[in-house]
Amino acid sequence: MPSIEILTPQSLNEVLGILSNNDKVLKIIAGGTDVVTGLKQESKRFINTEVLVDINRIAEVKGIEQRNGKISIGAASTFTEIYNNQIVSKELPILKKTVATIGSLQIRNRATIAGNFVNNAPCADTVPALLVYNTTIEIESINSKREISLQDFLQGPYKTQLKKDEIVTRINIPVPPKTFVGDFYKLGRRQAVAISRITLAVLMELNENKINEIRIASGAVTPIGTRFPKLEKFAKGNEMNDNFLKTLASKMGEEIIKLTGLRWSSEYKLPVVQQMFYQMLSVILNRAKPR
Amino acid sequence: MINLKFILNGKQVVVETEPSIRLLDLLRDKFNLTGTKEGCGVGECGACTILMNGKAVNSCLIFAAQIEGSEIVTIEGIANGNELHPIQKNFLKYGAVQCGFCSPAMVLSAYALLEENPNPTEEEIKDAIAGNLCRCTGYKQIIEAIAKTKE
Repeated sequence: MPSIEILTPQSLNEVLGILSNNDKVLKIIAGGTDVVTGLKQESKRFINTEVLVDINRIAEVKGIEQRNGKISIGAASTFTEIYNNQIVSKELPILKKTVATIGSLQIRNRATIAGNFVNNAPCADTVPALLVYNTTIEIESINSKREISLQDFLQGPYKTQLKKDEIVTRINIPVPPKTFVGDFYKLGRRQAVAISRITLAVLMELNENKINEIRIASGAVTPIGTRFPKLEKFAKGNEMNDNFLKTLASKMGEEIIKLTGLRWSSEYKLPVVQQMFYQMLSVILNRAKPR
Repeated sequence: MINLKFILNGKQVVVETEPSIRLLDLLRDKFNLTGTKEGCGVGECGACTILMNGKAVNSCLIFAAQIEGSEIVTIEGIANGNELHPIQKNFLKYGAVQCGFCSPAMVLSAYALLEENPNPTEEEIKDAIAGNLCRCTGYKQIIEAIAKTKE
């Protein structure tokens, strides 16, 4: 690895100043679990990096708080911090379940939530859960501050809206009403330290057995993590029974193929997605049944 | 070059180093602490595991400049002089060491687990060492050694 300059600013203002001022090729580093491996493997995304800006000591991008019906997660919160957090455990169980599946304990002790979706690999694990939670993110530069939906932020594989002088600071999630239930599923080639081959996240509100609202997202089966608005609209108002779940799962497969076309992996992934989606919904349905 | 100040195995140290050398190389080459191993260099095998501020991390993914002021514990810091830590004793007793290459990191992952959770279930032990690959033992003896170690 070539010698790289590493800056360790102590405040957000310092970071924004560095990002705005520099003619050198800069990359933000937090946990380093993507950056360092990318540098080592001479990935196109990290080649020519001259300066790394370490944001681990920036208070403004750390910490998890709840205010005015929203949960605000610092961009540089590690997965361990998120997993152990009381607010997340109580209000965002799908996110908690998600982060538990990422990497290993060593990775989770360093890797950060924003690092995951700013990298935006097709398999980015945090994206499906964040999408069904209708997440927005705050982005700052020396001259600007904006908040946009995560969905709009993510543009394509390894591509986001983030400009050279910008940094994601906070991840904001409206607290889901108590009536919402959901789940997360990840398929990897092994139980841990595995890149997702398929991820699914579902969040829904049932009225007796009818679907009031349903949010569906997948990762690793389309170019980037995505919601399924057509499917969600189709499902709304329907009775959640076994037959309908099978129909919904079948349609899910169709929607994915529409987005990706037939790929080498479709023969395997398609039936697995449909079956696992059906199983997830069945479990949610069973949990929701009065005892 | 930078002057790096941090706490290494309980002692305050200062060292002059390139900011972008890996913590793994800093420990092995500058401090001659070769207990920490390189297996993959990309954070997948866990052989480079050390404790940073009490948490198990892959030292191959951390740059020297990032550890200013931190508390670093390596395998060399676990024993009490010549007296092995109970985890180390049990690793030997229950046959958890074959070639030994994964062992320093495995012991540190176990140490971090038991500091936080002195009575882990088997599932919790497996979670704690999921990031530590062993090519020799099949993990059974390692899990047993950790399970038998109660603080």
